[in-house]
Amino acid sequence: MPHLAALLRVARRLTLDFSSAEDLVQETMLLAWRGFHGFQTGTNARAWLFRILFNAFHGAGRKARRDFLPSQESVRPMLQEAVEIAEALDALSLEQRTVLLLAVVEGFTCQEVSGILDLPVGTVMSRLSRARQELRKSLAPPIKEVKADVKAKEAYR
Amino acid sequence: MTDDELDQRVRESILAEPIDTSRVAATVRGQIRQRRRIPRWRFVAIAASIALGFFLWPRSAPALCVAAAQDHEREIVRSDPRRWLTDQPSIDSLAQKQGVPASAITALGTTGYHLERARLCFLKKQIFLHLVYTKDGSQYSVYLRPLTEEASFSRSVRGSESLAYFQTRRVTAVFVSQTADARAFARAGARVL
Repeated sequence: MPHLAALLRVARRLTLDFSSAEDLVQETMLLAWRGFHGFQTGTNARAWLFRILFNAFHGAGRKARRDFLPSQESVRPMLQEAVEIAEALDALSLEQRTVLLLAVVEGFTCQEVSGILDLPVGTVMSRLSRARQELRKSLAPPIKEVKADVKAKEAYR
Repeated sequence: MTDDELDQRVRESILAEPIDTSRVAATVRGQIRQRRRIPRWRFVAIAASIALGFFLWPRSAPALCVAAAQDHEREIVRSDPRRWLTDQPSIDSLAQKQGVPASAITALGTTGYHLERARLCFLKKQIFLHLVYTKDGSQYSVYLRPLTEEASFSRSVRGSESLAYFQTRRVTAVFVSQTADARAFARAGARVL
């Protein structure tokens, strides 16, 4: 099944939960199968699938967001070095996280993200910029620690 | 940290997370298989409907009506994946290439049924324009083909509630629906085509 891994990766970061992400992707694939006649040949199938995914996610949110609430089995990356980035990413607002995942991780252009999320390109760009700022803040080492490091180095000399 | 460096760090970190798609893929395949399987009661209903159609017609129903019912079952009821045209100009252009006047499609649209999509299909080795209309949540298949000169035509609608058929000077038309009265649509169609 094409693009399943990419859909699942983004769904996991949207729902912050493995089983909810799987449910969301299953729903997406079934909606895509049922609505295949609506797909226009020659257009971007990947973007089309992501659009369905986000519609399903927001649709589920309207009906009962509880379906996609994080369970105890929350998403944690395997690699220790990735924990910091994953936590910083999860701490972003849903809007910022969504744009960042599509543009940075999945490699969609701002124009494509705008089509998937049904947002103006300008909004996509500003959300992306704010998301990067927030990430930078989260990933930068705390000022106290930096000062302590400098003092330690000076004392060592 | 530049934007590119930050992006690369995030990308590498997220892409390094293991993703197991096997469970989702298996579930989706299973559900699609299940939805494609037609329940036995539906087979019985289709057979009864076609048999009733045969019985009600003074003469045996044209074989193409049976083919149309089977095609409708595959493409509409079972929703097998197909490529459809959904925009009006493309549908009109497709119709004209097949010799079906675009005015016929426009005329059908005035009967209160809404044109949803169209594609070409083969019924008894003949190309038909398959139009899908909706009304009150029910779907109707209309199969149109320009009438050949030598064929005799009969504007009277024949058939059963789920399968109706008529010919005008311009077209042969077969109407199929499983959940609604196709004959009513056919009667309305016969008046405008």
